[in-house]
Amino acid sequence: MTDTEIIDLFFERSEQAIEELAKKHGSAVTAVARNILGNEQDAEECVNDTWLGVWNAVPPHRPSPLRTFVCKIARNLATMKYHANTAQKRNSRYDAALDELEAILSDGGSVEAAYEAKELAAAINGFMATLSYADRFLFTRRYWYGDPLPDIARMADSTANSVTVRLFRIRKKLKRYLEKEGFLV
Amino acid sequence: MKRETITRMLNGLDDRYVSEAEAYLPVAVQESPERISHMKKKRILTFALAAALILLLGAAAYASWSVHTVRQQELKADFGIEENKVDSYVEYAVPDGQGQGLVLLSAVNDGREQRVYVNISPVSEEEAAAFPDKTRFVWCIEGTEIGGFAAPQLPVELSLSGTDEIRAAVMEHAYDKETQTLTLQGFLDVNMVERAMTELGTDAVPLAVQMLPEDGEPRSFGPVPFALTGEQSRVFDFGRAVYHDEELDKDIEIIGLELTPFSAVWKVSYEGAASFHTPEADWAAYEPWSLLEDKICIEAEIVFSDGSAFSTGGALTTPYKDGAVHLTCGWGGAIDIDDVQRIVLGDLVLWERK
Repeated sequence: MTDTEIIDLFFERSEQAIEELAKKHGSAVTAVARNILGNEQDAEECVNDTWLGVWNAVPPHRPSPLRTFVCKIARNLATMKYHANTAQKRNSRYDAALDELEAILSDGGSVEAAYEAKELAAAINGFMATLSYADRFLFTRRYWYGDPLPDIARMADSTANSVTVRLFRIRKKLKRYLEKEGFLV
Repeated sequence: MKRETITRMLNGLDDRYVSEAEAYLPVAVQESPERISHMKKKRILTFALAAALILLLGAAAYASWSVHTVRQQELKADFGIEENKVDSYVEYAVPDGQGQGLVLLSAVNDGREQRVYVNISPVSEEEAAAFPDKTRFVWCIEGTEIGGFAAPQLPVELSLSGTDEIRAAVMEHAYDKETQTLTLQGFLDVNMVERAMTELGTDAVPLAVQMLPEDGEPRSFGPVPFALTGEQSRVFDFGRAVYHDEELDKDIEIIGLELTPFSAVWKVSYEGAASFHTPEADWAAYEPWSLLEDKICIEAEIVFSDGSAFSTGGALTTPYKDGAVHLTCGWGGAIDIDDVQRIVLGDLVLWERK
């Protein structure tokens, strides 16, 4: 079934819409939730909440591409749950990714103002625009999707060591970019 | 910056970047924007040639064998083989009829990788459309454990985002519905192929392609005998030129450049370089050097006789060997390596034609 047909089912308020959505994009959504939460039960809850989120958002939205829209909802829900679970011991893949970024971005002073989501989005998207395709791919897979290094290496037909070195360079670039933009001092 | 702030920042990532990273597209990695402007004209020429063939041979004959020949013409035009005098680009004799299985179209050795272009058939429309999310392709050398990633061959000027756009491009540019033929590219590591030659005791290794559907049985195409093709390269010796970066207050030696029509290896050296190119590297100490390495690959200009300048772009790999860091870069369309007039980095002239 095409994405347009699935969206049409949502507009008709047919419950088959969720079945078809799960069939087509369920594995991508589950991977995002699982990478961030590192816990099957939490990930399953997050995926179910994602379907509900899509049900509430479509209509009126007619998202395109649908997979990106659904993965973004899943990521927002998963990261909320992740940060709420402060009392629990964290051991998800996202921990490792976040540790890497935190190590660079907490180094030195930080202007920890209450940034608007819009400002932060402008910063990260401005930075992404400076990267090559390959670097954007590695950065997004590691820090947005939360994929482990060997998986990214396999996807990019590279080695984990090569990916590690490139990600290091990208993080340094990010730090310099955020310093220049006044987010870090 | 707190973890929560970092997460909020990442949550603001634009849809196009999230979508773009759904699948990896090797053709996009190899692309160099400097060469895009020439492409459209070449493709018009390609289609004009195809049209001339139809008139000459009649539509039926065209349909039966042109899928291989026309793809060869398209590839040659897309890469700029003739205008850039790429002698190392090899085209293979293709069968008169449609044939089935694996057909070698062309190959070029970029020094680091042997790029190979093939047609596989029969591939149903559904199977072709299942790339990239439900089907993967790999090349392999039969009788060995050696293999790697393969992907539908798309024109180098394309800029795609997300699986839907990739799928549409594959169906438009790499798939021929009438003959159920899919054109693929494989980038074979030259060292791996040489290893396979030793293991099998032959110069022509059995090259095969596998289609691996997520739900279904893998299918093999080939093998066909394949031998490494010759490399066309030019070596520029900079006499260990020293570039001083004022901002970073560092000196880096630029030893030389190995240039092929599709790739470059910058050889550089600096204090502690060997230790920074290991998994145990001191990342903080490496930072200024990594910036300098990037600067050389991205900001150095290769200037041609028509005054145009070319940047090799960021390094894809950076191994340390033989006393130097090898900054290895690649791109999609060819350059004329015999037409290089000057190589400069800022005010520093690294090489100039006498």
